[in-house]
Amino acid sequence: MRDFKETIEKKHKEIEPLFHKGGKFEKLYPLFEAQDAFLLTPPDTTKGMTHVRDAVDLKRVMFTVVVALLPCLLWGMFNAGHQYYHYSGIEAGLFAKIFRGSWIVMPIVLTSYAVGGLWEVLFAVVRKHEINEGFLVTGILFPLTLPPTIALWQVAVGISFGVVVGKEVFGGTGFNILNPALTARAYLFFAHAKDMTGEIWASAKDGATGATPLGLGAAFGGEGLNVTEELANRGHTFWSMFGGLEPGSIGETAVIPILLGAAILIVSGVGSWRIMTGGCVGLIATAILMNLMPTQSSAGGEVVQMTTWTQIPFLYHFVMGSFLFGIVFMATDPVSAASTNTGKWIYGVLIGVVTILVRVTNPGFPEGVMLAILFMNVMAPIIDYYVVQAHIKNRNANLRKFSYAKG
Amino acid sequence: MSAEITITTGLDLPMEGAPGTEIRQRTAKGPISVFPSEFAKVKFKCLVEQGDSVARGGKLARRKDLPEFFVRSPVAGKVKEVILGDRRSLKEIVIESDGSDNNETFGTFTVDGILRAKAENVLSELIDSGLLGLMRQRPFNHIADPAVKPKSIFVNGMATAPFRPDAHVLAQGKSDALQLGLNALTLLTDGPVHLNLAASAKGANDSLTNASNVQVNYFDGPHPSGNTSTHIHYLDPIIPGDIVWTLRVSDVIRIGELLLTGNYPNQQRILLAGEGVKPEARGYLDVPTGMRLSDVIADSLQEGEQRLIRGDTLAGEAIDPSESGIYLYDQGFVVLPEDTERHLLGWYAPTKEQFSAHKVVPSAWIKDKLFSFGTNTRGSRRAMVLTGIYDSYTSLDLLVDPLTRACIAGETEDAIAMGILETDPEDFALCTFICPSKTDFGKIISEALALIEQEGF
Repeated sequence: MRDFKETIEKKHKEIEPLFHKGGKFEKLYPLFEAQDAFLLTPPDTTKGMTHVRDAVDLKRVMFTVVVALLPCLLWGMFNAGHQYYHYSGIEAGLFAKIFRGSWIVMPIVLTSYAVGGLWEVLFAVVRKHEINEGFLVTGILFPLTLPPTIALWQVAVGISFGVVVGKEVFGGTGFNILNPALTARAYLFFAHAKDMTGEIWASAKDGATGATPLGLGAAFGGEGLNVTEELANRGHTFWSMFGGLEPGSIGETAVIPILLGAAILIVSGVGSWRIMTGGCVGLIATAILMNLMPTQSSAGGEVVQMTTWTQIPFLYHFVMGSFLFGIVFMATDPVSAASTNTGKWIYGVLIGVVTILVRVTNPGFPEGVMLAILFMNVMAPIIDYYVVQAHIKNRNANLRKFSYAKG
Repeated sequence: MSAEITITTGLDLPMEGAPGTEIRQRTAKGPISVFPSEFAKVKFKCLVEQGDSVARGGKLARRKDLPEFFVRSPVAGKVKEVILGDRRSLKEIVIESDGSDNNETFGTFTVDGILRAKAENVLSELIDSGLLGLMRQRPFNHIADPAVKPKSIFVNGMATAPFRPDAHVLAQGKSDALQLGLNALTLLTDGPVHLNLAASAKGANDSLTNASNVQVNYFDGPHPSGNTSTHIHYLDPIIPGDIVWTLRVSDVIRIGELLLTGNYPNQQRILLAGEGVKPEARGYLDVPTGMRLSDVIADSLQEGEQRLIRGDTLAGEAIDPSESGIYLYDQGFVVLPEDTERHLLGWYAPTKEQFSAHKVVPSAWIKDKLFSFGTNTRGSRRAMVLTGIYDSYTSLDLLVDPLTRACIAGETEDAIAMGILETDPEDFALCTFICPSKTDFGKIISEALALIEQEGF
């Protein structure tokens, strides 16, 4: 191991001048820097008044998010295989499902990394900044929000939009207003809506459409049916949706892998527990409020049946659709979230509220969480502004208590 | 009336290289240097030339903006060299001691007598002797302006940053000088003089805990509970327009020594600590003021490349020992090994050897272990990404993220409203330490403070 390390160190020293100013590959310096810093920690020493530094750097922080996403990715691969065989009407064993699932999912992930990475490197070279580790997260987060049936060219177009318009035009990681992965998904959602929602698995069996429970539920609600009962009749019980062997986007169907990821993020301090808790509180409160809505209206003397989509218990909102995935992995992106700790609470609660408002009051967009997070990304600076103003007011009131010295 | 305050935010770095309490002597060796350049932002006019004879306490230089303020010589002898720095500023005056007892003395006071003395007399002696340079004023942390009476005076007797000297060791055997210095301070303000000590030292029963005529306060909790800004914030916070003066116990002792004996102080007690110092050499030294640092640390350092830091690990200045000497303001030095070692895949290897405050790394879960801290940056500079984590590493009522952003953007009015005037760059040292993006908060804050001072508010 030591010899290996020394060999690399020597080799790097040898080739480094090629990438410096005037060298043959001067333009590719960000590439050299990225692989150099990936293999070996930098030899730099501290400058300025503080002479020691913590062992954690941004690479580790970002990679922790990737690790937290792995349970979702693994489950997503298995589930993709399961759904594939389910809707093709073929009986298959566990390993066949895993293999088929990886065959479906891995190309999507690799396309996302390859195309997004290309943009990242291109911008780094042209802009002369280092390659940002933030892309490690975007590159895997984005595929997990896609249905497994998505075409690879759509993945490529989506990630290009996310990386370029969502991030690089603002100056790269740390400067973006919106979450790049979610921007990419939103682009596909509106540009290729048919491939992103509803009946995603072309079915060989009669009657099975592969629609997500969320999409079905919204439709049943519109017809005034008892949503939970109708879902159960089609095999979507609370526990089946909790377990996650359901059609849906790759990473979001199962609850347990998401909770595992949430635990990793919270314990390591990388993801904000304030945002996650706030989101759940907002969702529960709004869902309960929605339950109080009437299902029939007698305006004008005539009894009109209204949507029963409002009536589902709040626990269903956690297992249907991507709310948990969104609040754990997307909303907690510190760059696009509110930056103050009080602001994070408000930001989280409002995401929960807006998610339910979009889901329930506008069945045309059953997946409210994506829109809710993007909307709150835009609102985050305003939240921070008011938090800071309140802080200043509070500070001044506290300082005035000590006014004895001023007479 | 005394206050007891517990701070819950912050972090104590579990650092190897802590000193013992032994006090050793270093005898003068070679020429003595006086450094007018240690008083930042102040311009001096040199009053001596090469070959001039000076007495102990004799005048060497005069402040341009305050002509009553003189830089004085700690020894009697001949001026060997006058060294100029950038833009012909007066950097250093080297004096070859001739061993004579040629001594220029100052007025003396008794410990209790000074309480009946006139404040002007005491203040003018401090200005005249140049020891006013030991008194600092907040906001902006520069030399106290004698024309403005401070609303209160803060004396720091704590050592939470690794490794500031323990005030109780510094004050050992100097109780008269300490009490006289504290008494002198009570004359200089209409408000209280706060002496702030660590809660753990409450039972020490020494000249600090028993100090009279001042308000003795105790602070408990991790660093930065020992920072002067913390004390000011909890006891008498700075509202824009306020002036407070701040000193450390070592400064009070030196002022007391001058007022007690009338002789210009020529000895001071400093701490030499850190992993880069040989274990047997870690501890306190009584050294002549102005001694060359390379002589002070001779034979004390470990093998390998070491960094000598004036001040402490979190807020100090890296210096070249052959270029510098013991400043009047010095009370301690830390030596750390320069760490340029590269680790294979170190950015994700689960280290147990490098300390971290973030729970992502196994080392953050280990309790009661002392770590070796080198000077490595442990990663490269990136844009700030994680937010909201810094607030738990300051003891002041601050929102670090928005404040830093306001500073970077040059929004000085916002920064003032958010409380920057209560701070000193050293208060952000822990934020710099824990930042995964390796942001230098100290630099951002000090540049903003400089801008505010220049613009006025």
